Amino acid sequence: MNIRYILPFIEAVEGAFDQMFQLQPRALTPYLVRKEEILDWDISGIIGIAGEAKGLVVLSFPSILARDLTAQLTGEVKEELDDDVTDTVGELVNIIAGNAKKGLEEFRLLISLPSIVQGHHHQVTWPSGPVPIITIPFSTPRGHFSLSVGLENIITP
Amino acid sequence: MRILIVDDSRIMRNIVKNTLKALKYPADIFLEAPDGDAAWSILEAQEISLLLVDWNMPGLNGLELVKKLRATAKFQALPIIMITSEAAKYNVIEAVKAGVNDYLVKPVSEKNLEEKIRRVLDRRPS
Repeated sequence: MNIRYILPFIEAVEGAFDQMFQLQPRALTPYLVRKEEILDWDISGIIGIAGEAKGLVVLSFPSILARDLTAQLTGEVKEELDDDVTDTVGELVNIIAGNAKKGLEEFRLLISLPSIVQGHHHQVTWPSGPVPIITIPFSTPRGHFSLSVGLENIITP
Repeated sequence: MRILIVDDSRIMRNIVKNTLKALKYPADIFLEAPDGDAAWSILEAQEISLLLVDWNMPGLNGLELVKKLRATAKFQALPIIMITSEAAKYNVIEAVKAGVNDYLVKPVSEKNLEEKIRRVLDRRPS
């Protein structure tokens, strides 16, 4: 499997979290997931990729970490997954996907506006086809989160 | 002086605004819009000294707004900085061709934002 193209995503996560939250997330061992996998997270931000590759980039958090990061940006304690939390998660996945394009410049890619899926054990609808989906778990002192990437023509079986 | 911040993310608009406030820009000079259409309405109604605009937004996006502004005589000299997550070189080139004066990749640092604003405003024709 050609997974060298996940490095730009890992670097984009590290850069965004360092700059925005002064956090240095540690990338753990990536693994393959099934398309129908139920996610053990509370909220996911999703960016669609089009152009010379098609697919999705999905950033997933437990509620407590999503609320904690949002509180750091807004200065307000967040008791629930409100509009500010969805805004934060959407903007974060947008920044990660947009920044990762710098390391994927051999492909001309377009990124969509972010969408949000929430609810414990939610599911993401991945495009059909034999594209592998790689999940990279990240660890921070304030909790875990993950980034999943499925991109045809780029991450290939 | 009035600065118009255009971004569909309220959190990002606040981050940019708070960064500029920390740099001693007065709190009452900021106007905000969540997309290009709302920004266009503000630009037509008020004198704006600097436009800080995101690229990816619903409705009229940032690139389309810049092209529309540059095609309109009264906005041809408006200082514009694009602040976007789009980090690929071909995106920067496309934005410069559309008419932005400068380009900043999110997440923004206080130092970079200040430098870009200073540079763009210093280049204004007198």
